[in-house]
Amino acid sequence: MANFHHRRLGNGINIFIHPTAKFKTILVQLIFHRQLCKEEVTQSALLPSILQRGSKNYPTRQKLALSLEELYGTELMSEVIKKGERQLVSYSMDLVHDQYLPGESQLLRKSLEIFNDLLTNPLLEGDAFKADYVKQEKEQHERVIKGIINDKIAYSVERCLQEMCKEEPFSVFKYGTVEQLAQQTPFSLYNFYRQFMQESPADLHIIGDLDVEETFALVEKIFTYKRGKEKVVPPTQVDIQPGEIRYVKEEMDVNQGKLVLGFRTGLRFGDKDYFALLMYNGILGSFPHSKLFQNVREKASLAYYAYSRLEKHKGLMVISSGIEADNYERALEIIRQQVEAMRKGEFSQEDLDNTRSGLRNQFLLEEDSPYAIINRSLDGMLAGQVLGTEELLQQLAAVTREDIVKVAENVKLDTVYFLTNKGGA
Amino acid sequence: MKTEIIEQSLLKEKIFWRRVEPGLQVFVLPKKGYNKKYATYSANFGSINSRFIVEGENEELQVPDGVAHFLEHKLFEDEEGNAFDRFAVLGASSNAFTNFTNTAYLFSTTESFYQCLELLLDFVQTPYFTDESVEKEKGIIGQEIRMYEDNPQWRLFFNLLGALYQHHPVKIDIAGTVESISQINKDILYKCYRTFYHPSNMAVFVVGDVDAERVLDQVEANIQKRNYQPLGEIKRLFPIEPPEIAKDHVEQSLTVSEPLLNIGFKEQNLGYDGQPLLKREIATDMMLDIVFGSSSKLYNELYEEGLIDDEFDAGYVAEKDYSHSVIGGETSDPDKLFGRLVEGIKKAKQAGISHAAFEHQRRKAMGEFLKSFNSLEFIANNFPAYHFKKINFFNYLQVLHELTLDEVNQRLQEHLALDRMACSVIRPKTR
Repeated sequence: MANFHHRRLGNGINIFIHPTAKFKTILVQLIFHRQLCKEEVTQSALLPSILQRGSKNYPTRQKLALSLEELYGTELMSEVIKKGERQLVSYSMDLVHDQYLPGESQLLRKSLEIFNDLLTNPLLEGDAFKADYVKQEKEQHERVIKGIINDKIAYSVERCLQEMCKEEPFSVFKYGTVEQLAQQTPFSLYNFYRQFMQESPADLHIIGDLDVEETFALVEKIFTYKRGKEKVVPPTQVDIQPGEIRYVKEEMDVNQGKLVLGFRTGLRFGDKDYFALLMYNGILGSFPHSKLFQNVREKASLAYYAYSRLEKHKGLMVISSGIEADNYERALEIIRQQVEAMRKGEFSQEDLDNTRSGLRNQFLLEEDSPYAIINRSLDGMLAGQVLGTEELLQQLAAVTREDIVKVAENVKLDTVYFLTNKGGA
Repeated sequence: MKTEIIEQSLLKEKIFWRRVEPGLQVFVLPKKGYNKKYATYSANFGSINSRFIVEGENEELQVPDGVAHFLEHKLFEDEEGNAFDRFAVLGASSNAFTNFTNTAYLFSTTESFYQCLELLLDFVQTPYFTDESVEKEKGIIGQEIRMYEDNPQWRLFFNLLGALYQHHPVKIDIAGTVESISQINKDILYKCYRTFYHPSNMAVFVVGDVDAERVLDQVEANIQKRNYQPLGEIKRLFPIEPPEIAKDHVEQSLTVSEPLLNIGFKEQNLGYDGQPLLKREIATDMMLDIVFGSSSKLYNELYEEGLIDDEFDAGYVAEKDYSHSVIGGETSDPDKLFGRLVEGIKKAKQAGISHAAFEHQRRKAMGEFLKSFNSLEFIANNFPAYHFKKINFFNYLQVLHELTLDEVNQRLQEHLALDRMACSVIRPKTR
């Protein structure tokens, strides 16, 4: 079983402590869970930046930054994550373990106190957030939403999935929309914040060289804010059959074309056949020895990158490659041949072995990263079963060639998206 | 050969070090409890090394831009296949990168470490280039170059270097251009290989839960069986770079949501490496963080005015023969931001840096250095690069500790010279 200790605070926050002497740091991550829905996604995504502008005890960004520098550069980060049709709003803190700082102690306590103050003691004007901060952060957030086009690889994948899942909550952009943003006021946001903090299921992970009992006691003393009844996040809809393949072409002033194919697999993390799908995806496109890299890049010289990856909570697979616009037909043909080859079971024992060892290596590597350790337990909880490394490796080892060919039947092309230059192919 | 030990007591880390004839430097940092074992084999050869002469040879060589990176791509291939596949068989993942000054080959694995190490040593020492495979790679690298043409941050940065430098090859894209790589052939690759991939110009760094002596012995045995002849000193030739910048302003339009701005300062205080260079790097980085970082008055004013976002950043690149700072990020109004930065720099130089700001920043720098030692990649990628600059990276904390406020204030006056400043802007294309 996974190596962590779980307890539930009186107010319903789940605390997970992962003791390990491996790292020089302590990582604290507090994750709030929400249903991904277009009515609320913008507000949830905007909250972290407003809270980080200032609390009653740290009323400006500058005061906060100075206090964190004082704590040897304790880093405070927030992130909006989409896992299936669930939006996660995460706050984290990365600090040096004070055993490496001669003459220092209590660094974790001091950091947690700032963390808690920012989250639960915001700077207010009456019954609303500070108006200046809201105005400025709305502008900043609008830049984040519009900034998706700056990274053409991420943009093309996002657009493909949006087109593909048009009718499903999954198509909602994790940062929300400019239209929703415009409607927010300091008052409405503060109301939303109170509701958000009270009803969102929340997990607090702490990982580092820690004494479990002491850390529980510390957390229990600090995170005392009042919460209400939790709002359950409904499950993600996975079982959707694609109809006719949809082709979407978008023109933009770009140098390189981006070809993205969206597939439905019908399988999610937690399903019995998931590990076969993981092997399928590995043989097809997640390693340099995989079919996509070998055939699109190495043999045909059409691309620098060509890979596939899974969205494991929604049961999707995406293939992405950057090509000359003129090579669209050729690249698409080669990619479809690789998918077809998988369906026919045309892969060697070596492909199978290499992929299995590559994935095995990845599972073992996760134990070396505090972020990966937390992410694994999070994924496990969403799937209803948290697996330790040994169990993951056993499941991986049990996958047979037949299992892979069987899941290949499930992998169905839904949407072909192409971002191309103006007047291009 | 004798093993030496480099220790850092605050970090609680130890490096085992051996020099293997004819001159390969091998470093091992044991990390107990980690599953990952990570190794790099690096050559002191980067994109800026396009002109050179080897001591004892007459011929000065001038090679096309992008050769170091091209060579990095091609070295993975040999007569029977490619090294990627052989690492895959061992369950390891391999990769390589080229920057301005170094090329590094690496793998990361959790099992079969000693076999992987042997493979790394073997493939880097077995060049195999054919006309056909060189031609095929031009299509792949061509797409890599095209990908970067659409990357606004990358374009912003290289446009800035093009404005700061008149002749120095640091201004040229690491991968070269579609035009320059078209001139590359297998003979050019072999020539560069024979010069820069000699053990005396390379270093091996291993980090993970490994037996240090066994690693050192294995590397030594692998190198010694090849009977390398000593190589004369490689003279790296550079055009004379005047202290003046090439131009003070450069612009480009791309499909972006909002403009981007970088300003950069061209260093004058050059010509040395070793610990003094490390000191200059740390002092300048601290100065930049104090003037432009998230706890500075300037940063907070610009943020509240909506001119910058929280990705706004300032950093310094320290090399013996060229150095520069880069400051900036995305902005709603590059012209206004430029004016406010110049004004802020003038004010900062008048006011100087306070003792309190200096001490705050020192604590932060110390914490950040300690934190980065969680990452095996960070250690193994940085240590050899600093070693080639004759710097012991473990001395970072000591130099930081010895640094004085005066030295950081001196960097403020010396480095942020407005007549050595250039500005690069990317503006949105109308869609």
